[in-house]
Amino acid sequence: MISRRALELATAVLTGSFGVAVVVSSLDNGIGWSSAGVDAGTFPFLTGIIVVLGSLYNLVRGVVPAATLASVPIAITSIELRRLVGLFVPAAIFVAAIPLAGMYVASALYVFAVLAIPRHQSVPRALAMAGATALALYLVFERMFQVSLPRGALASALGF
Amino acid sequence: MDNLQELLHGFTIAVTVPHLVLMVVGVLLGILVGVLPGLGAPNGVSLLLPLTFGMQPVSAIILLSSMYWGALFGGSVTSILFNIPGEPSSVATTFDGYPMARDGRPTTALATAFGSAAFGALVGVILITFLASWVAQAALAFGPAEYFAVYFLAFASFVGMGGAAPIKTVVALALGFAIAAIGIDTVSGSVRLTMGVDELVKGVSFVVAVMGLFGIGELLVAVEEEFHARAVSSKIDWREVFRAVGRLPRHGVALLRSAAIGCWMGITPGGPTAASFMSYGIARRFSHRGRHFGTGEVEGIVSPETADHAAGTSALLPMLSLGIPGSATAAVMMGGLMIWGLNPGPMLFVDQKDFVWGLIASMYVGNIVAVALVLLTVPVFAALMRIPFVVIAPLIVIICVVGAYSVSNSYLDVVMMLGFGVVGYLFKKLFYPLAPLVLAIVIGDKAEDAFRQSMLISKGSLGIFFANKLVTCLIVGGIALLLLPLLLQLPRLWRKPASPATDAPVQERAII
Repeated sequence: MISRRALELATAVLTGSFGVAVVVSSLDNGIGWSSAGVDAGTFPFLTGIIVVLGSLYNLVRGVVPAATLASVPIAITSIELRRLVGLFVPAAIFVAAIPLAGMYVASALYVFAVLAIPRHQSVPRALAMAGATALALYLVFERMFQVSLPRGALASALGF
Repeated sequence: MDNLQELLHGFTIAVTVPHLVLMVVGVLLGILVGVLPGLGAPNGVSLLLPLTFGMQPVSAIILLSSMYWGALFGGSVTSILFNIPGEPSSVATTFDGYPMARDGRPTTALATAFGSAAFGALVGVILITFLASWVAQAALAFGPAEYFAVYFLAFASFVGMGGAAPIKTVVALALGFAIAAIGIDTVSGSVRLTMGVDELVKGVSFVVAVMGLFGIGELLVAVEEEFHARAVSSKIDWREVFRAVGRLPRHGVALLRSAAIGCWMGITPGGPTAASFMSYGIARRFSHRGRHFGTGEVEGIVSPETADHAAGTSALLPMLSLGIPGSATAAVMMGGLMIWGLNPGPMLFVDQKDFVWGLIASMYVGNIVAVALVLLTVPVFAALMRIPFVVIAPLIVIICVVGAYSVSNSYLDVVMMLGFGVVGYLFKKLFYPLAPLVLAIVIGDKAEDAFRQSMLISKGSLGIFFANKLVTCLIVGGIALLLLPLLLQLPRLWRKPASPATDAPVQERAII
């Protein structure tokens, strides 16, 4: 269970630290006025400052919740959290597997795993769907639009 | 009547067999994403975008815009039959559409919705036909200062009228600007904000951002709830379709008023969602049957649907003539335009006549195609609602991953896309608006260039933004919009002990 307050704080910290990174990084490009006009870092610097200030405001609003915030104190219930993790973690593993297994193998494995392991579909049906996914990707991208998808370190080691 | 001649020429481009096929494909895909909860017009258009890179710009925009029409119609189908809005902009349609369908009149509800939606879209397209080239003509005389002022006004109106918490809108906008600035600076050629990652020199493609924000982000929001599709009968009685459409003129006042609200909200970046809520709220207040709203009133369907489609269509006007998109979907399409090598803005009307008028003509045809197809396919798509979400979700993830990769064959893009997905989820959950973020990513560079060029012209004096009447008006208007939320807060602070905000504006509810 995650409270609305915690989520607000986390998001404000996230946007705020990005803002700080932008401010620091734009200082390298110079801020202000030079012979070539407005320096390259000025605009990012200003947006970074706005992000930082806005995030601070949101942070304070998150700590001292207004009436509207208090009416929905819980942002994510534990059941919702489980569903979220159930979607996101396999997706992240899938993305992490792409450099090694390649797009085709990784997506076929991903579809199979998501459908068969929680028993949403029977194993043969999940297998069929996984195969169909990889085939559809191949036909649409490699054939129709001639975009070559990564085959992965494993496939190149095997000589494909 | 130059415009009419150009329009006729446009029809010769739009009404060809390949383009009609593209329209049918686009509309069907659009209805599909519209029907599926967790996918909407901006997602659908961004998912399709990588496939259009190799196409002719006219064909590509016809495909994407047809998908947009299809998604707008598809969203209403599930609102009425399942009480599940397929699109945020069709939430208001559920209020009266579902009760009417549940009372055994699904055909009447659907036909009323589609009929008024088509009317709204028609008003929007007519507006574009007559106004767009005129606006573009006026904009041709713009210098960098005027351009910056227009951009400023657009950004300010998100803050003032967007309906989300103003500071959250400001943060979303500024984040977008910062993301747009990553990579090589077009003016000085220096590398900015790469934070030591060499691959970021090429910048962050907005396709990667929208795939994550809308694709993965919405998916994460959608997976939280389990959808229970309890459908009312989805059989279509064709005689009732014509009877329902025939009864529409009786609601002429509501139709015209809603179309006007929709067009206004579409051109200023209020967007279709705010438009449909506002139109519904106003209809309930002014209709003499206002007390019956929520129980299946015809006007309760007519008002949000007309405004929704009028706004969706007219959002393309500022995109075409000024290069400033009026909605999130229009922002995605505009990013597409830039990838296809076009420069959105007034020069389109001079350099790319075929493209502009082909698109405008295709809007007329595409909406007719959409009405016909959506009526024919209601039973099919209603059946699709029974496909479990667990099957659809991984497919959407794969489409997003492959799409992000294919933008520039970069694995880093895929990882960033997933990161944007998390951001999109957090923002959606906490009511940070996504449209200004996407808008800023798409036109951030242009706004910055306009600012720096005007500074070069004026040798560093901000006075250039008050140099003539037009610029001054735009800038003052923008500042007024920025301050609007503050001004609205003041009376509330005084009244606070007496009445806690009972009269929250309709738009605010639209966001929540």
